[in-house]
Amino acid sequence: MDIASITASQVIFFILAAVILAGSVMTVVSRKLLHAAVYLLFVLLATAGIYFLLNYHFLAAVQISVYIGGILVLLVFSIYLTSQVGEKMDEPGIVKKTVTMLISMGGAVFCFWVLCTGQFPYADQIHLNEIDMHAIGQSLLGTERYQYLLPFEAISVLLLACIIGGILIATGNTKKED
Amino acid sequence: MNEGFLLTALATAVVLVVAGSVIALIVAPRTKNEQKGEPYECGVLTRGGTWMPFRVGYYLFAILFLMFDVETIYLFPWAVVMKGMGMQGLIVVGLFIVILALGLAYAWKKGALEWK
Repeated sequence: MDIASITASQVIFFILAAVILAGSVMTVVSRKLLHAAVYLLFVLLATAGIYFLLNYHFLAAVQISVYIGGILVLLVFSIYLTSQVGEKMDEPGIVKKTVTMLISMGGAVFCFWVLCTGQFPYADQIHLNEIDMHAIGQSLLGTERYQYLLPFEAISVLLLACIIGGILIATGNTKKED
Repeated sequence: MNEGFLLTALATAVVLVVAGSVIALIVAPRTKNEQKGEPYECGVLTRGGTWMPFRVGYYLFAILFLMFDVETIYLFPWAVVMKGMGMQGLIVVGLFIVILALGLAYAWKKGALEWK
């Protein structure tokens, strides 16, 4: 690629991609659980950055608030709940390493093959306009065609099930400990 | 955005940070003693390891926080179109919140909100 023809968004994309790649590798390679969680934080942040780059502002907000603010906090809490917190995990065996390497190499080769040989007829039809929050709100709460009120309400039932399930599992364990 | 400006800003940022660290590495005086390794360099000495498992109570609150965090995300799009939707939107979101409030009520009844 010609250096002069690189645009600002490409530079930002390359930086974000580098952060995602390095963070993902470090997450997997890191021997300490908490360090892995922190590397995952950088991966998720950079992913949110890519959403911002694509003008998917709502998705980026979801990424930051749910994945970084919620899931990762939950992950860190569950790491702190384990007794081996702060200890290094054992080095995996040679068989495990080889199998993992083969599988991930296979995945990488497959992705590369798809990218090289695949046809992407709709790629140039995508318009990177900002998706309006009004449109999202309308389609979530409306009852007409291509509007999704029932799934919206179903989400609340799903979340309710998650709350009850989480409480049930967590309090059940404490009773056993007493 | 101006590409040249972006690259210049990027290069400046990298150079400034690297230069700061390198210059500090070269000229800064360094002392080494055991106290440097302490979690707090001054004050009471810590006893035992700092890594220890948390109580499960924290986890409950984390789960509850996560659920209502997800709820907040769904309230965002509604907040934008609230004025246009009028009464219908209010009722719909009211139902959404009431269903989730049942979860809070369940947690309350189960005693999950009490610190044991």
